[in-house]
Amino acid sequence: MRAQFVLSEVWIGLRRNLTMTIALVVVVAISLSLLGTGLLFVKQVDNTRSYWQSRVQLSVYLCTSQAIDANCNGAVTTAEIDSIQQALKSLPEVISVTYLSQPQAVALFKQEFANSPTLVKYTSPSQIPSSFEIRLRNTQADAIPVTNSVDGLPGVAQVVDDASILNNFYKLLDGARTAVVIIAIFLLVAAILLVANTIRLSAFNRRRETSIMRLVGASNFYVQLPFLVEGMIAGFFGWLISAGLLVAVKALWLNGLQSYFPYGVTLTTTDLVEVIIIALIMGLLICGTTSFLTLRRYLRV
Amino acid sequence: MIHFDNVTKTYPNQGRPALENVTLDIEKSEFVFLVGPSGSGKSTFLRLILKEERPTEGRIHVAGRDLARLTNWKVPHLRRRIGCVFQDFRLLPNKNVYQNIAFALEVIGKPRRFIRKVVPEVIDLVGLEGKRDRMPDELSGGEQQRVAMARAFVNRPTILLADEPTGNIDPATSIGIMKVLDRINRTGTTVVMATHDAAIVDSMRKRVIELEYGKVVRDQSRGVYGQAY
Repeated sequence: MRAQFVLSEVWIGLRRNLTMTIALVVVVAISLSLLGTGLLFVKQVDNTRSYWQSRVQLSVYLCTSQAIDANCNGAVTTAEIDSIQQALKSLPEVISVTYLSQPQAVALFKQEFANSPTLVKYTSPSQIPSSFEIRLRNTQADAIPVTNSVDGLPGVAQVVDDASILNNFYKLLDGARTAVVIIAIFLLVAAILLVANTIRLSAFNRRRETSIMRLVGASNFYVQLPFLVEGMIAGFFGWLISAGLLVAVKALWLNGLQSYFPYGVTLTTTDLVEVIIIALIMGLLICGTTSFLTLRRYLRV
Repeated sequence: MIHFDNVTKTYPNQGRPALENVTLDIEKSEFVFLVGPSGSGKSTFLRLILKEERPTEGRIHVAGRDLARLTNWKVPHLRRRIGCVFQDFRLLPNKNVYQNIAFALEVIGKPRRFIRKVVPEVIDLVGLEGKRDRMPDELSGGEQQRVAMARAFVNRPTILLADEPTGNIDPATSIGIMKVLDRINRTGTTVVMATHDAAIVDSMRKRVIELEYGKVVRDQSRGVYGQAY
């Protein structure tokens, strides 16, 4: 194997159809960046989901003096609190029950909405209900039976399943993720077709060389190698650009997005590197296999 | 060296076979002219030897190998033992004389030291001393064909196939080409040359195989181009 010879052939090939090569590099770059963005998004969604999964609980809000819920008749009494607690503890689906008294709830409210002083200022402490915070054995399946058995007990204003609120949020994230991945797949198909076309052009440009190579008995692999390397080099440059774009996407966009999530769900550099490596493998694989398969058809012995 | 046993080749969608029941032997270091009008099957004969085509019927042995049993990935090894020269030279226009010849060795992975040694030798053999740095378009037709012959011969093939090598060359220059072919033949290489050039065939007095409509109509040692009987 003569590396220098193969490389000089590759260089000739890349230079001869420069415009196609540039188009190929650009398309590979864009499709890999989109794919990578999709993957980063997937990771972000998964991280967020698992973060919440461990924290999701069922909140049983108790009546306040100002409650307007149908079940409420003035503020909840101590006896009612005790009987609700008993009822909850007797349920097999419930892991733990924490009572959040009204002063505690007020303190938590002030802490969580520290960014919105106006809201805190105009909310009177008596509007904030005391509650039971319940950890369930199975957050998805157990929510409904537990809700049913507690809802309607005297003193219970409202049962709220955190998961049902998060589900809408997840739907939004999943939708965005699917959209990015679908666009990336379309672009990858375009990239595959472009690779095939570029290699075909290159094979046509070099048909003299190729026919002589076959005539003097160059092995099939040797005939195909320059084209293969050509495709993979284009793929590699496309990947380099996409790696740059992905770093930018993470730094400018995803990090900005994360500031909206106050709970410290962040993508690490490891996640980014992982995605960039996947993009590299995808890029080389797509360019390599496509040029190889295209040549199979056009350079048959 | 080349053995055809009752070979028939029919191309798809063509009624008449390009070659029909051809049986012949070409021995080692023979010089054979293949003559006959266009479409008589000369090119098909040469393509079959290279395994660029497969016979419809019959068996072909080249350099001791049964071509029917030769797998596709071994075809390149067969072709390394066969040199080819064409009417249209088929040189690479962007490479000079030396590079064109070296190309044939580079693509079969020969070491550079070997290439540096044998290419000048073969340039001398075909009579192109001092022209190793010329580009093909700076050479006459005869000189270009010498480069093509050097490329075909540089790997010391056991067989050299020449498909109308003098077809684009004037008669005076053709003599020089034939001298090179003769020189190559004297090194022990079997030469098969398809040609229309009666003067050359008559002057060389070598074996002549005449094809017509795909059949061998004459096989004569020390023959001439025209009908000799």
